[in-house]
Amino acid sequence: MDQNNSLPPYAQGLASPQGAMTPGIPIFSPMMPYGTGLTPQPIQNTNSLSILEEQQRQQQQQQQQQQQQQQQQQQQQQQQQQAVAAAAVQQSTSQQTTQGTSGQAPQLFHSQTLTTAPLPGTTPLYPSPVTPMTPITPATPASESSGIVPQLQNIVSTVNLGCKLDLKTIALRARNAEYNPKRFAAVIMRIREPRTTALIFSSGKMVCTGAKSEEQSRLAARKYARVVQKLGFPAKFLDFKIQNMVGSCDVKFPIRLEGLVLTHQQFSSYEPELFPGLIYRMIKPRIVLLIFVSGKVVLTGAKVRAEIYEAFENIYPILKGFRKTT
Amino acid sequence: MPGRGRCPDCGSTELVEDSHYSQSQLVCSDCGCVVTEGVLTTTFSDEGNLREVTYSRSTGENEQISRSQQRGLRRVRDLCRVLQLPPTFEDTAVAYYQQAYRHSGIRAARLQKKEVLVGCCVLITCRQHNWPLTMGAICTLLYADLDVFSSIYMQIVKLLGLDVPSLCLAELVKTYCSSFKLFQASPSVPAKYVEDKEKMLSRTLQLVELANETWLVTGRHPLPVITAATFLAWQSLQPADRLSCSLARFCKLANVDLPYPASSRLQELLAVLLRMAEQLAWLRVLRLDKRSVVKHIGDLLQHRHSLVRLAFRDGTAEVETRGKEPPAWGQGQREGEVGNNSLGLPQGKRPASPALLLPPCMLKPPKPICPAPPVSTVTGDENISDSEIEQYLRTPQEVRDFQRAQAARQAATSVPNPP
Repeated sequence: MDQNNSLPPYAQGLASPQGAMTPGIPIFSPMMPYGTGLTPQPIQNTNSLSILEEQQRQQQQQQQQQQQQQQQQQQQQQQQQQAVAAAAVQQSTSQQTTQGTSGQAPQLFHSQTLTTAPLPGTTPLYPSPVTPMTPITPATPASESSGIVPQLQNIVSTVNLGCKLDLKTIALRARNAEYNPKRFAAVIMRIREPRTTALIFSSGKMVCTGAKSEEQSRLAARKYARVVQKLGFPAKFLDFKIQNMVGSCDVKFPIRLEGLVLTHQQFSSYEPELFPGLIYRMIKPRIVLLIFVSGKVVLTGAKVRAEIYEAFENIYPILKGFRKTT
Repeated sequence: MPGRGRCPDCGSTELVEDSHYSQSQLVCSDCGCVVTEGVLTTTFSDEGNLREVTYSRSTGENEQISRSQQRGLRRVRDLCRVLQLPPTFEDTAVAYYQQAYRHSGIRAARLQKKEVLVGCCVLITCRQHNWPLTMGAICTLLYADLDVFSSIYMQIVKLLGLDVPSLCLAELVKTYCSSFKLFQASPSVPAKYVEDKEKMLSRTLQLVELANETWLVTGRHPLPVITAATFLAWQSLQPADRLSCSLARFCKLANVDLPYPASSRLQELLAVLLRMAEQLAWLRVLRLDKRSVVKHIGDLLQHRHSLVRLAFRDGTAEVETRGKEPPAWGQGQREGEVGNNSLGLPQGKRPASPALLLPPCMLKPPKPICPAPPVSTVTGDENISDSEIEQYLRTPQEVRDFQRAQAARQAATSVPNPP
């Protein structure tokens, strides 16, 4: 029952909007459509050439941002910059930063502080132009991670039992099996500990889903193999492989999905008519994230746990950047 | 023929090359004896040397547009005409369809999918020109399911690598509002319900913008919000006569379908307006409720920016701005009336402290979270006890019972029905 397509078929089409008319009130003020590079990289890029290019580009926008910044903030930034610049940036750039008056300060820190700390007393009426999200994200010190760890919710793994199976026999002699050949050509078997479900095919291949960790998935797959063994088949345990891992977490603040889709067009897909969340396809690591307005994030498509953690650490600074735009 | 050898039978030198169908033969013209035969079959290398034309090249199927594609292109043009789109849209949509058709996955797809693809191309074209066409409208026109449409839409956007902008809310408001049949009196629309289009449009736009600012639009289908905003705008322009009209009746009058979520959007919007009203002294004393606040929507919208700032504190703030007492009078001044603290405002009555500006899903009480599973120290290589596995196996008695039950069921279902 689809209630969303609420218009009679011709209602929308025939009342043509006369494209020349522009709305009096910009509901969506155009943000800077920006998004380059493959990945949002929060790790510091120590390539001085790219940092120099970055500085040149940002200097063009210096004036705009100087007006917005107060002196005190700039001083704080310079102290921070000098501390980190001395540690990691090469000679040429560090010279520039130490010489730095406010005009010379590299963009690296501006983009971060601007998006997370607007001036007190002014609330942006419209989504303020977010500073460009560059692939070379500011030099965040290693300790400034999000502090949130995604929880694994589901692991899908496959294993080859190495022998042909008679599904009718399995369904007959196992208590926890269901088999409906007209509906699906596999036996669906469940065990209680770890709480998982397995699809067992007649070729001897098996898919195990529902575990909350890699070890649990492996243990569950072994238990299924043992059940099949006890039913009289020469089952082995070959090529166990984790195929997919799903994790979820909560950043605990609301996210302006319309803004995120504008600045990260080539990675995001946000269709509120179809799905309430934004689908973010990260390229490195290759993970798909579902981002919701409540701040909950679902990460899927990982083969190893580290990919989920890495993906979340990549997305967290981007999401933080959309915290203040109300 | 001289130099070709002699016939072994009669010794004549008159040998003629005479092929028997595809087999080349050397025949003696005197006695008819076959001297030599060519090979009947050709080898792979021989065939490689033959200049044959492949079937697909001979029929020219790659140069022509297939009939199915032609039908699809015709459908695209028809759809553009039905929707009364500008002519340039037609060409763009046709180009997208042709571009999609070059992919083998689309060429081999079912007809239903190709039909929906027509709608997708038109929708993408409209989106790129900020023409407010909703997916629901396209699905209704194509008699397609929204989930089928959505899967093909996502697939084609990914396949063609397109950048499709979001639905333009302002344009959608204008188009949708204009479709309400309330701007002229008619047998079904009494005179007191007729409204001026421009006034209603501008007020609806302001309400939708307010909804957007207060997190009522993000993540939700845009149309029900606009329906609720249109209804409120219409009511507030003449509240005395129109407060008695319900949302459902309003949509029926206006000859527009009522989307199911519109009533809850309406409640959310009214809650926001009530919070804003509490920041205005002359409204605070009136103790407004969801019905009476409609009369004051005009004022609230006029000062909406400052009222929202006062009424809500930023739900995302790290350091929450502690509510310094907002001024007792509203930001704007009504003609001839100065809201003043001394105008009998009882002592101790102050505006409500700012509520958190959060999306409604975050304001609901959190679901009781089941306690996180204890961190299990499973290694995956533990011993699996036999007893644990035995519990999943049927005893022989159970197996016999099960088989008997199955047989009985088979017998029952296979009994032919009496004529």
